[in-house]
Amino acid sequence: MNGTPMIKPPVRPVTPGRIPEAVALKLDNGIPVFLIEAGTEDVIRIDFTFDAGQAWENRPLTASAVNRMLTEGSQNFSSSKLNRTLDFHGAFYNLYCDRDRAGILVFFLSKHVEKILELAREILFLPVFPEREFKAQMKKRLRWFLVNRDKVANIAMDQFYESVFGKEHPYGKQVVQEDFKNLSRDCLADFHVRHYTPGRLAVVISGRIHKDTVPLLNRFFGALRPQAADVTRSGYELKASEIKRVHIEKKGALQTAIRIGSPAINKLHPDYPGLKIVDVILGGYFNSRLMKNIREEKGLTYGIHSIITSALLSGFKVISTEVSKKNTPKATDEICREIELLRRVAVEKDELEVVRNYMLGEMVRMFDGPFALAESFRSVWDFGLDNSYYYRLVRKIKTIEPDEITALATTYYNIDDMYQITAG
Amino acid sequence: MISYKKYTLDNGLRVLMHEDRSTTLAAMNILYNVGSRDEDPGSTGMAHLFEHLMFGGTAQIPDYDKQLLLAGGENNAFTNTDITNYYLTLPAENIETAFWLESDRMNLIDFSQRNLDIQKSVVIEEYKQRYLNQPYGDAMLLMRPLAYRIHPYRWPAIGMDISHIHDVTLDKVREFFFTHYAPNNAILTLTGNFRTREAVRMAKKWFGRIERRNVKPVDRPAEPEQTEARSLEVEKDVPADALYKAWHTVPRAGNDFYTLDLITDLLAGGESGRLYNKLVRQKKLFSEINAYITSDIDPGIALLHGRLMKDVDIRSAEEAVLKVIDELKEKPPSSHEMEKVRNKYESSNVFANTSILNKAVNLSFFELTGNPDLINTEVDLYRKTSRSMVTEAARKYFDPASCSTLYYRSSRDQK
Repeated sequence: MNGTPMIKPPVRPVTPGRIPEAVALKLDNGIPVFLIEAGTEDVIRIDFTFDAGQAWENRPLTASAVNRMLTEGSQNFSSSKLNRTLDFHGAFYNLYCDRDRAGILVFFLSKHVEKILELAREILFLPVFPEREFKAQMKKRLRWFLVNRDKVANIAMDQFYESVFGKEHPYGKQVVQEDFKNLSRDCLADFHVRHYTPGRLAVVISGRIHKDTVPLLNRFFGALRPQAADVTRSGYELKASEIKRVHIEKKGALQTAIRIGSPAINKLHPDYPGLKIVDVILGGYFNSRLMKNIREEKGLTYGIHSIITSALLSGFKVISTEVSKKNTPKATDEICREIELLRRVAVEKDELEVVRNYMLGEMVRMFDGPFALAESFRSVWDFGLDNSYYYRLVRKIKTIEPDEITALATTYYNIDDMYQITAG
Repeated sequence: MISYKKYTLDNGLRVLMHEDRSTTLAAMNILYNVGSRDEDPGSTGMAHLFEHLMFGGTAQIPDYDKQLLLAGGENNAFTNTDITNYYLTLPAENIETAFWLESDRMNLIDFSQRNLDIQKSVVIEEYKQRYLNQPYGDAMLLMRPLAYRIHPYRWPAIGMDISHIHDVTLDKVREFFFTHYAPNNAILTLTGNFRTREAVRMAKKWFGRIERRNVKPVDRPAEPEQTEARSLEVEKDVPADALYKAWHTVPRAGNDFYTLDLITDLLAGGESGRLYNKLVRQKKLFSEINAYITSDIDPGIALLHGRLMKDVDIRSAEEAVLKVIDELKEKPPSSHEMEKVRNKYESSNVFANTSILNKAVNLSFFELTGNPDLINTEVDLYRKTSRSMVTEAARKYFDPASCSTLYYRSSRDQK
């Protein structure tokens, strides 16, 4: 190659376009359905999502156990027949149980829509929670739990939630080994009856949607009675721990997991878009301050990230990393130093420009293709918001100034209020 | 059907392009034909460490990441036994920025001792985080040298030992770059919203100036046939016993690859797989069990691993596994079961093609194996796999004499 440097090509400003709106309709019995038509392949993604997450359980593990048991046998299908039939039709599914919501995501070829919807009704509304499968499932999950509890990252994260939200808060309670013995199939069936009801369901469909989809949805789900569920909810008053620093010793660990953070506002708060930008600057992307300082300048870790998460009862922000045991104090000090810097020194124009473009690029990716569109839809719909949230976020990304960033950091990042949890 | 065009530059760089107008993005994938199989046994982990150094900047562009971010892009990379693969996505109108950045670092990287030292520490922390500080994290570090005695697949891409990473010198790094990073040893694939004609023009403009380099083919010893079962037993502080087994199979381009892939699907493809159904669901011997074949360019392995339930004897669990495999040797699967695994493959293939990034990564890899058309025709090869081919392949490859077994035992009192 000859020595003359090539001229850098011009960069066009990154501009997320108009977000395709989901088509909203209701089944005969009122179940809300959202259709997002997109993509090049004849595939469909359906998200059956219920107001049935962990926040609704009175006993640890109930919500996730119910969710996991949905495919373990129904009125007309045994567990193996259910799985065989789904596999035969080339379908992939993902049972999920989050803090607030639970359900099933199914991916399949559009031509199989009728079969898949028939099976979905079995899974969601006609599970029988067979005793034998239930016992086996709990034993198996206990094994998984024990392996997960062996990882410093999980030990630190669980303690973080407990410290930040309080032992009694639905987001803060830790699962312990005894919890696996305290559940019964009846208690699962009871939770199911109350929470997996048509009245608590929404269906989000994306992809190249088969023309028969809506009539078929009505056939399988539209006649289900939306019985008024008698739901009692456990207390969810946030009682954060007084103790801000917790270390959990793990014998023989080579690395220590560090989690530093605190409760935060969620998407419903007007400051949230701005705070999201502050979080990205600090540790939310590959070129973030934490990555640059702790990985790229000091080589202390393979990765360090900060993330702000929005949940219905509360948000939280957390910085996560794993470092060699001996480097723990050094890494923690540097994290605190970066937070202080963010509060005291205005962000340089150059850095802000990078962050703006990165975030706008992310927003283009968030709406690219049927699956990304459906996820982005859910992450505002869950909060009763719509795409105007995203337009607000775009506007904030484009217009935020350094002094607003400093002000937000000063309000929301106070190192004395933050929990420092370590395990290793 | 994924339509693509191929163009080879004078310097040997192969360029593949697939237009997809349904997206506003473009993806660029650069595959370098160098992986851990090209490493010297005394300096393993080099290809992967080098991947980290590729983000260290050049004399022209000291800040690769920043420049890509300014164009709204996002990138990452991975290194495996066969390849080092860099990929990015960005808004399609800024695609030329990707050409600028990638051609610049293919041309010459700025090697500094400081960056090398930092990235060594980063990779050593990665080694600890992913392989040493996780329960069972080192299982593959133990399995590889058991299954492979001389072929470089006997070490993982992260490296055989942390000391190898520690000992890398700047001279070694420089030499590695000039022997492996070259237009004639790379495949560039573009997918997304652009015009092929424009992409060819940009490829010529940006990459055309880089000179062909003298890439020395690495002389890799072939792994001799394994004729006796091998076994290893370790005891570690983990929650439960685990069983690992490996059998020698075929190269990615080998005839039996598809049959073997379907065999592992019959065994472990989801909850309706035979191993899950019989050994997790019915007999409750394992809490989880999985099987798959590696997609290696040189002859690979079929790998099976499972974690045991409390109080289950590992030997009887192993016997139960072997019984399930033997059934495949004795009796062909029903047409219905065959149809199930073929359908599953077909649908996962369609799903893979919903992402421009996947399409770019896959096209590059298929080009490396010598036949990019496979991105469209593999479905038929799976479809053509018959019931008797399954029986034959099960007999041929799942031979006890070519098997390596690891008992990964728990030193704890079982709770």
